[in-house]
Amino acid sequence: MAELKQHQKYWGDVSEGDVLPRVTMHVPFAKVILNAAATNDYFPGHHDPEYARAQGQRNIYLNTMAIEGFIDRVATDWAGPGTFIRKRQMQMRASIYAGDTMYGEGLVTRRYQDAAGRHLVDITISIATDEGPRVPAALTLELPRR
Amino acid sequence: MATVAQAPFPLTFGTYADALKLVGQAGAKTVAEFSVTWEAIKVYCALVEDANPSYWDEIYARRQWGGIVAPPGLLLSWCMALEWHPTKARKHYIMALRVPLPGDTLINVATSTEFDCHLYLGDRVSVQDRLVQISEEKDTRLGIGHFLTTEAEFLNQDGERVALQTNQLFRYRTHEA
Repeated sequence: MAELKQHQKYWGDVSEGDVLPRVTMHVPFAKVILNAAATNDYFPGHHDPEYARAQGQRNIYLNTMAIEGFIDRVATDWAGPGTFIRKRQMQMRASIYAGDTMYGEGLVTRRYQDAAGRHLVDITISIATDEGPRVPAALTLELPRR
Repeated sequence: MATVAQAPFPLTFGTYADALKLVGQAGAKTVAEFSVTWEAIKVYCALVEDANPSYWDEIYARRQWGGIVAPPGLLLSWCMALEWHPTKARKHYIMALRVPLPGDTLINVATSTEFDCHLYLGDRVSVQDRLVQISEEKDTRLGIGHFLTTEAEFLNQDGERVALQTNQLFRYRTHEA
């Protein structure tokens, strides 16, 4: 097995305005079906195209948990695996459909210590497809210190 | 208004006035059928293509966190209802599904989650949610309906809070074709 990346960013290494590298993931039909199975979510909009269309959607679409996982991956691919996600807010303004390719990009907006002495970084992440922005998100990450 | 072909989940139907009576009420506390397993973690990581060694590498995860941890995005999945059970009726913990409203379908709109601690292999989650707010009727590009806001508290088997989540979904009927 190839070695997994263990590069870790430390709180002191991060500056406001730092840009998170873009992460790309293709979403074939099978991935949306995997999504239903992987998250025990059998709401028909996620596996039944006829139902999804009757809902006003173009096709079956990813659920909240899949998009959350992709957002978190954009954050921790950049920050490293020793990062604790303290908070994640997201708004699903448009769906991500079977056949789409999704992109995640991010920006550091704040670096600070909270009242409990935790070393935190706020980031914004935008999830988009070729049709434009889909899901804006804001996260608070707890990073280790050197 | 058009009607979505089949009832997806056991939705409860009623009027906005009926729904408003439930604001502030809590659902029943639900203990997950699923315990946290490495298999489920791997399947989810394969879904989002996440190579984080916290989820894959026992040596790294033990050193960093004390063991393999669950991706935070899996939080909701542990308490989802089984499709079939030999003795229990299929029942979702999500209170918003039981709010009486005219809408015959729904879509999740926004979610905000604060995490207190990791979930580890073998942990068993419980959840209880509460209906916080129901909007007046709104006309959106998807259809006409109401936004429901709920707050859910997730605990581990030791009663420690794992996460607090505020969620908003849209319960609606599509516009007539």
